Amino acid sequence: MLKKLLLIPVLTMSFMLSANVAVIVHPSNAAALSQDDINKIFTGRAKSFTDGKAAEPVNLAESVAIRADFDQKALGRSSSQMKAYWSKLVFTGKGTPPKEMASEQEVLDSVAKNPAAIGYVSAGAVTGNVKVALTLN
Amino acid sequence: MLKRTLLAATIAASFCGASQAAVDINGFASIKGGMALSNDDELYGYDDDFSFKNESLAALQVKSDLGDKLSVTAQLLGRGADDWDVKFEWAFLSYDLTDSLRINAGRLRTPFYKYSDFRDVGYAYDWSRVPQSVYGLGFDNIEGASLYHTTTLGNFDSSLQLIVGSYDGDAAIGDAAADAQIDNVTGIAWELGQDGYSFRAAYLVGKTTFYVDQLDFFDPDDIPGSGLYAQLRAFGLGALAGELDIVDESSSFAGIGFNIDKNDWLFVSEITKATVDNSFISDQESFYVSIGHRFDNITPYVSFEKEDNNAKTDIYAGVPAASPVFAPVAGLVNSLEMERDIINVGVRYDFHPSAAFKAQYTNADNKTADRKDSVLVVGVDLVF
Repeated sequence: MLKKLLLIPVLTMSFMLSANVAVIVHPSNAAALSQDDINKIFTGRAKSFTDGKAAEPVNLAESVAIRADFDQKALGRSSSQMKAYWSKLVFTGKGTPPKEMASEQEVLDSVAKNPAAIGYVSAGAVTGNVKVALTLN
Repeated sequence: MLKRTLLAATIAASFCGASQAAVDINGFASIKGGMALSNDDELYGYDDDFSFKNESLAALQVKSDLGDKLSVTAQLLGRGADDWDVKFEWAFLSYDLTDSLRINAGRLRTPFYKYSDFRDVGYAYDWSRVPQSVYGLGFDNIEGASLYHTTTLGNFDSSLQLIVGSYDGDAAIGDAAADAQIDNVTGIAWELGQDGYSFRAAYLVGKTTFYVDQLDFFDPDDIPGSGLYAQLRAFGLGALAGELDIVDESSSFAGIGFNIDKNDWLFVSEITKATVDNSFISDQESFYVSIGHRFDNITPYVSFEKEDNNAKTDIYAGVPAASPVFAPVAGLVNSLEMERDIINVGVRYDFHPSAAFKAQYTNADNKTADRKDSVLVVGVDLVF
């Protein structure tokens, strides 16, 4: 029984194609960003970009497929591990998770409008109104 | 997490006119059922009747951001064990002095342990319950203020908490709860983390007073009173009574913890020591180690806990065995001797984005009382 349960996730994972994630910022944002910087901003451990300007991370809802890729590639954790991580901070008054948007379009609009915003979409969805800070393969 | 910002903001606005308070409502719940595995076994409030009430709980947390770096947080929590009576577990205001320095004041969680802050939020950890051998002081919250500082030191994330306050309510003496007052609580907790490794240390001191009916009772019309202390004083053994009683006694708590979360292996351990000087309360030394492995959404684990409470037999070393007070005094002091080993085996299964199913088997070997008890608990922890 246990063996079968373990097999199912392994099989599903091998069939899923993981998409490239483009981390996007406002075109005016000149800060250089590493995966570690992005990790710190999206886990609430850094509140500003490397150039010292305030950062406002914008997340995607768990129902959007690319969210799981981002959690894995940028943060190195599964979405439920991230939920456990945030529940530690939320229920102790020590932190608030990033705002969640319902679609990639909303993230694109929000980042295009706000010089402080940082978000992510699938690499194919990027438009000229935002700047790609880093692509995670 | 559920956000009702719009609705809540509308309600808030209707009360506060032009205020732009943003209100977040979050919640968590644990629905657990368990039972002891044989007739005479008793552990953590379970006996051989299946109980859904004993460890179940539900909570709502409301946080309102008042703007200008000020916010207020209240957590309402109801425990099945208390017939679901809802209480304010926490209520505090927070002021951000800077991006990395925050002051909290009100009713706060005392930072004794690594999991103190979220021990009620089962979803945040893999076990069915935090290791009771270590998490056993019997009280969690104090009224006071804390300063919380986060920063990076080289490659390490550092969080430092300083706390002052006092506590008035129940606390544990051995396995029993008693009326306690702990004043002048002062403490420091520091956690350093890097890339899946973290280290934590905490040290707190305070002045502890316990009131126990059978010991303290003093009836002015019935001198010498029926309490043990009063009787000892009537025998001219005031000094001995003073060695036993718990009145404004210096107390300390020290704990260190270590945690690894690497390549889906999970290791966590904490070691603690609690003392109440000049009282019959035994010195309490405890630790646990837990090892688990994450197989995608299934996390099995095993853990070992040890509780070693050393009775202060020196207190009655000078009392002749023939003395009529020897038996009650030695009985009281020795009642707090305890050596107990506990083994837990369990599994967490993340079957839903906001909920985890858990099952845990616990076997306790109380060497002092020469008895073994085991209990099985299954349940669901969720956040919303």
